[in-house]
Amino acid sequence: MKRLLALALCTAVSSAAVAATDPRTIPSQLPPAWQAKTRDVFKQAIEIPTVHNRGEVPRMAKLLADQFRAAGIPESDIHVMPYEALPGDQTAALIVRWRSPNATKKPMMILGHMDVVEAKREDWKYDPFVFREEGGYFLGRGTSDMKNGDVATTMAAVKLMSEGFKPDRDIIFFYSGDEETRGVGATLGSTKWRNLTDAEFGLNADGGGASYDRNFQPLGFGISMAEKTFQTYFFTTHNPGGHSSRPRPDNAIYDLADSLEKLRTHRFQPMQNAITRGYFEERARQEGNSALGQQIRAWLANPNDGAAADAIEANPLEVGLTRTRCVATMLKGGHADNALPQSATATVNCRIFPGVQPKDVQAELQAMAGPKVEVTPDPLYIGQPTPASPPRADVVDAVKAAALRFHGPNMRVFPVMSTGASDGSFFRAQGIPVYDIDGSWGISPDDERAHGLDERIPVRAMYDDVLHWESVIRDLSK
Amino acid sequence: MRHLSATLSAVSCLAVSSALSAATPALTQAQHDAAHAMFEHVIDTPTVIGRHNVPAMAQYVADQFIAAGFPAEDVHVVPYHTGSATTGDDDTAALIVRWRAAGTPRAKPILLMGHMDVVEAKPEDWSATDPFKMVEKDGYYYGRGTTDMKDGIVAITQAMINLKAAGFKPKRDIAVLFTGDEETNGLGAKNGATQWLDLLGHPEFGLNADGGGISLNTDGGPAGATMQTAEKTFAGYTLTVRNRGGHSSKPRKDNAIYSLAHALDKIEAYRFAPALNETTRAYFAGREKLEKGPLGDAMRRWLANPNDGDAADLIEASESEVGLTRTRCVPTRLFGGHADNALPQLATALINCRIFPGVDPDAIKAELEKIVADPEVVVTRNDDNPASLASPLRPDVTGAYTRAVEALHPGMPVFPEMSTGASDARPFRVAGIPVYGVNGGWTVTPIDNRAHGKDERLPVKSLYDNVVHWELMLRDLGSK
Repeated sequence: MKRLLALALCTAVSSAAVAATDPRTIPSQLPPAWQAKTRDVFKQAIEIPTVHNRGEVPRMAKLLADQFRAAGIPESDIHVMPYEALPGDQTAALIVRWRSPNATKKPMMILGHMDVVEAKREDWKYDPFVFREEGGYFLGRGTSDMKNGDVATTMAAVKLMSEGFKPDRDIIFFYSGDEETRGVGATLGSTKWRNLTDAEFGLNADGGGASYDRNFQPLGFGISMAEKTFQTYFFTTHNPGGHSSRPRPDNAIYDLADSLEKLRTHRFQPMQNAITRGYFEERARQEGNSALGQQIRAWLANPNDGAAADAIEANPLEVGLTRTRCVATMLKGGHADNALPQSATATVNCRIFPGVQPKDVQAELQAMAGPKVEVTPDPLYIGQPTPASPPRADVVDAVKAAALRFHGPNMRVFPVMSTGASDGSFFRAQGIPVYDIDGSWGISPDDERAHGLDERIPVRAMYDDVLHWESVIRDLSK
Repeated sequence: MRHLSATLSAVSCLAVSSALSAATPALTQAQHDAAHAMFEHVIDTPTVIGRHNVPAMAQYVADQFIAAGFPAEDVHVVPYHTGSATTGDDDTAALIVRWRAAGTPRAKPILLMGHMDVVEAKPEDWSATDPFKMVEKDGYYYGRGTTDMKDGIVAITQAMINLKAAGFKPKRDIAVLFTGDEETNGLGAKNGATQWLDLLGHPEFGLNADGGGISLNTDGGPAGATMQTAEKTFAGYTLTVRNRGGHSSKPRKDNAIYSLAHALDKIEAYRFAPALNETTRAYFAGREKLEKGPLGDAMRRWLANPNDGDAADLIEASESEVGLTRTRCVPTRLFGGHADNALPQLATALINCRIFPGVDPDAIKAELEKIVADPEVVVTRNDDNPASLASPLRPDVTGAYTRAVEALHPGMPVFPEMSTGASDARPFRVAGIPVYGVNGGWTVTPIDNRAHGKDERLPVKSLYDNVVHWELMLRDLGSK
């Protein structure tokens, strides 16, 4: 679900606004041979359509497993775990343990997911499951969410092994197969498979990342340490229906449309927590005296200043950071072209502010929608509010070192609350803190296409990500 | 699509047969049981598009004809394919039967029409019964197709079997065409009006069991019988909204679903301009005579001044008159989005329109565009249906229908009717073969108006009355 490049940091006001270099044009420091290997594995990964119900995830698991195997990980430490996600969706997780010859620290885990969101050929300019390189980008479903992270973490480990690096702690790689749908893999990974996954902390490749604005000014590198709770609700209307030649005054589709009109303008109560206050303090500093900067300062000074919070929320860079948000994502209604609909359903996806109970959001949506609409949570995925992870200096320092190397001193690293949910929530709920620290980057907002059309990643960002993970792994296990 | 028990409460326009009928005919116990068994079998066969069951039903009905002595070479199950982007595909079939005249036919054949397919029904939407398991309860048969229109299929079939057993010999051929995709694409009727015309013997006119019918009021009093002579044009449109989409954790200001919902709210509030034609004028002229209240006042005001839009709006708002004063469009299906955690890239609504005869469906498309008034919302047509035509009144058909109605429902007024639904009649009318909706089933209005909806049902007695009705009609018209 989830991964967003965006970081929402607006222009780092590098006041000496000399025209900056387009970061996409700077050659990656990854050696050409490793670029070729990375590109080859990435191409194969993108061309396996790991959409739910297609049964393709096991093939992807094998692709990654093969890389570890070739690098020398023994068979006994490579586990492909088949499981059922959505009813009938046969998927798999991959768990790999890179053992330390003489461990001095508890293991750390690196997380990712191998499944992708559906992409329809007719919606895309090109086939989403045919890998393309064009105009400095790799294109295809999963290029930014998150086969880039799967491949970068895998190739970083393979490269370190080939160079003879010996970690001083076991490193566990956990790639799930249904993060975009049910999160069964992460549920199992954090409980039933705990003997294989138990770790001091987790580093998630499904989040984090740096971004630049369109003028190539660095916007920042966010480490997600908290996340909103993911919960989908269904808005359902019912009607006796009848023959469409004799329209009734009431109609299931009209009733649903009326409630969606209300949802369009409904806004939840603004809220702050320690992570978002830290984030907005950093933002205020960067924004200086801009309108947004003033709004943020006003809201930080007075958390009851709803008008300021609304203005912040309306800014495309800050969407979802000031409160719970809900949006209509799917529609279904009627049963025949020539019959009045007997039922209509809208899928409403909510990202709930940490600490707010999903049942309270349901009650608020029900009151808003009115008695003609039935609001129910998706029974297949009941969101669990999870605690924020405590900041860890070693993780933050490792990320800062990598960010400095690839992006220079103007790329600031700071904590954020993720608006998406990810596999990390299941581990956080089971006591393993998780930090989203992937090293991909993009141009905001043009490259923010996860789950959407023509998803892409800058070529250099893909290669940098391998080096980023190599650097972070080395720093945290030497 | 279509078969609607009209809701009338009214006066005779076509003249009630004054001659008292002879004793009302009745079915023998064996005929009654045969009709019951056939009805149960066909209701329990889910002839919904995509389920591939129509050929089996066609073969079953064909077997009934053959068992009753109709020569196998005159009974044809004709397989054909149907499909479109919005309905999906199916291998379906038509049943064509030719009952040949004894000796040289006196005239071109009479065509009897019906359709074997039904609209989708989902068990979870129905109150208590499985739509594809016929249940007899409280004097009703419940099941999908009980009124639309497997009752008509059984009535025509059993009537012909009974007539043949009784030794009746038609003086002209009687051809039967039961189609298999009327509710969706109407290709069976299109084929019937073109490539199957030789098999059908180039009929002079058609009698459609998917139209007409008798309505009783809830107090049991007569509400009227209708003979369908005109129908609105059925046309489908799609509203499409596209959007860049994106991640649902970061809602965009623009959203395909919200734009579509907004367009639907505008369509909900809109009313097309009212219109009258010859059939509806005659219909309302009859109706107003027995409507003493505000509804009758509105009819009188509108007939006196066709520009009195308020009067027309009042009439349209009445449950019994919906769709009779103008073009109506209503959304019937919604689709949108591709994942619950992604902003929608595409949202569509199907708009089903029933267009007043004579109005070009392209003009309605332009009007929908004006209503929606949002360039983000693209309006397209789903079919190329031409504007429909009316059939001229024929004294022989009118007389036969009126006499059959009078025999079973003495004193029941008979009206011409513009059907708000469309039916297989259209391609035949367009091909110069007039078609009359003259079914003899009856229902209680408005409580039994459930065609296409949930808990569709037919009064038990109606099924058997309908068999007798078709026997009377065929004896009458087949002897000429």
